[in-house]
Amino acid sequence: MGRVHADAYVQMPNAELVAICDTKLEAAQRLADKYSVRAFDNVKSLLTDVDVDLVDICTPTHTHFDYIKAAAAAGKNICCEKPLTRTTGQAMEALRLCEEAGVVLFPAQVLRWFPEFRKMHDLIVSGAIGTPVVARTSRCSAYPRGTDDWFADMKNSGGVVLDMIIHDYDWLRWCFGKVKCVYARGLYERNIPLTDYALVTLRFESGVIAHVEGNWARPGGFVATVEVAGTEGLLSYSSTESVPLTIELKAKGEQKAGVTVPESPVSQSPYYLELEHLVNCLESGCRPEVSAEDGMEAVRIGEAALRSISTGQPVALA
Amino acid sequence: MEKGKLIKIGIMSFAHMHAHGYAACLKKLPNVEFVGIADDDESRAKQMAKQYGVRAFDSYEEMLASDIDAVIVTSENANHRRHVVLAAQSEKHVLCEKPLATTKQDAEAIVEVVRRSKIKFMMAFPCRFHPAFKRLCETVESGALGKLLAMKGTNQGQCPGGWFTDTKLAGGGAVIDHTVHLVDLMRVLTKAEPARVYAEVDNRLFGGDFDDTGVITIDFTNNVFASIDSSWSRPKSYPFWGNVNLEVIGTDGVAKMEMFAQKIDIYSDKTGRHTYEYWGDDVNLALIDSFARSIAEGKPVEITGEDGIKALEVALAAYESAKSREAVDLLA
Repeated sequence: MGRVHADAYVQMPNAELVAICDTKLEAAQRLADKYSVRAFDNVKSLLTDVDVDLVDICTPTHTHFDYIKAAAAAGKNICCEKPLTRTTGQAMEALRLCEEAGVVLFPAQVLRWFPEFRKMHDLIVSGAIGTPVVARTSRCSAYPRGTDDWFADMKNSGGVVLDMIIHDYDWLRWCFGKVKCVYARGLYERNIPLTDYALVTLRFESGVIAHVEGNWARPGGFVATVEVAGTEGLLSYSSTESVPLTIELKAKGEQKAGVTVPESPVSQSPYYLELEHLVNCLESGCRPEVSAEDGMEAVRIGEAALRSISTGQPVALA
Repeated sequence: MEKGKLIKIGIMSFAHMHAHGYAACLKKLPNVEFVGIADDDESRAKQMAKQYGVRAFDSYEEMLASDIDAVIVTSENANHRRHVVLAAQSEKHVLCEKPLATTKQDAEAIVEVVRRSKIKFMMAFPCRFHPAFKRLCETVESGALGKLLAMKGTNQGQCPGGWFTDTKLAGGGAVIDHTVHLVDLMRVLTKAEPARVYAEVDNRLFGGDFDDTGVITIDFTNNVFASIDSSWSRPKSYPFWGNVNLEVIGTDGVAKMEMFAQKIDIYSDKTGRHTYEYWGDDVNLALIDSFARSIAEGKPVEITGEDGIKALEVALAAYESAKSREAVDLLA
């Protein structure tokens, strides 16, 4: 994700990428060379040696908290990849530290800038399906392979429940408000190699019931679906059916089968739109649309789901 | 019963709309004879008998006293017990609409009456006969998906209205109506029993005194977990009555069944609507054929009353869980 964010910043007229930091210096250097910026292998030097307005944290989840602490202590505004932190306790502490330091803590809940999810949100809020009652979301992909396979370290990544469908928790909160109760079943703690899967049921204070599927076991690749039923209609979306372009190539040379590549291009990447919003807010002093609290609440839901998976009972969110 | 003989079948009540599907099959199948119809509502019996070109009986007793071999019970859920008992007393075999009953007590009473009689009793879970489900079972059994881990099912539909929203007659609303099909399919697929049930149930789609929304989570005895959405969440404008979808997650792959995906889209200016016209196999044909064969050939039925109880238990546990706000253990 660091690469995606870096690409976005360099395109922005009102932002300047000044440095890349990675614990592996060669990785930092490779990207830094691409953008002709400085490379660092530790955050301390980064924060002291260069004058930055914003630090963007795209490291593995369990390291977020320490980097947030360091950046806040240095008085830097922070963009942090989702999940904001590994635990709700860390999130609360992170919020407090950023508040005290007077810096912005922006959780990169990018789904809010995906045009299809924004459109669905706007339709729901405008009453297109009447009062919303029951929602279903599904987010499926093959097992993610991060640096050093850190996703496979379930304790650190939180698995599909915390890392993947946190997108949906945040989007659902955006649409339906506060979550009251969480029940979940999943493969967390079952230690099945390169496989994770979970079914999470959320009950909102508004009465909405939402069913969230998280799937890191789908060989066929990525697919996201949403459906929301209301008192006056049904809204439904599937990434596999929103494909304006499909390119099919005949088999060539060694290759046995042809290749089919579906594409759903949009002129501006949701990641760009998300970070552009953040940069514009920092410039003008406005509050970003997604708050640190939003990031924390999404973590709280994920953590409650993990607890429910291990206890087999629903978890009430106070 | 001699082989090759036509099985004579009557329908007890047209309260459930599935009676129409069964009636059409009875007219089509070569090994059965559709004899007639009896109904609490005599005028409905007459009207339906006329529609299908069969005899209208004045009463259930009159139909059961005739030389029919078997009945299909498609009355309101709460009346199943009474009608099955009547049929059993006259030694007529029974194909019973789902859910088996509205209470566990009634469901067990039905199974007990059947056990003490000589009749064959089969639950109408026609989805088991869909070729896509059979292929899914073969795929799971072949081990191609590896070890089974989880399942996700939906049986979402339009609100059927009528007595289906009268909880005294239906035993509930959407949850009792739509949970049982998928529980049955999941039991067949996993070869395991539901052990724990959690459910979120509500009535906010229609705001009536019946539940219209249900999201149910089940743990099976073999550690497979699953969810079922049984909501009446297809609006009136939806192109089809609903769906029966089931996804299976295994260690080596996933599979997705959309039972009614074999369809033609119609966009009609005559009705101002978009509709799906299903062209896949009629699962009711295979269901009734199986029932008739088990009678003709003296074989056990493919779907038993116990299967009906197991499916009903999950729906009832879902209501209990929604009330207690806790997961309910079925094996306790």
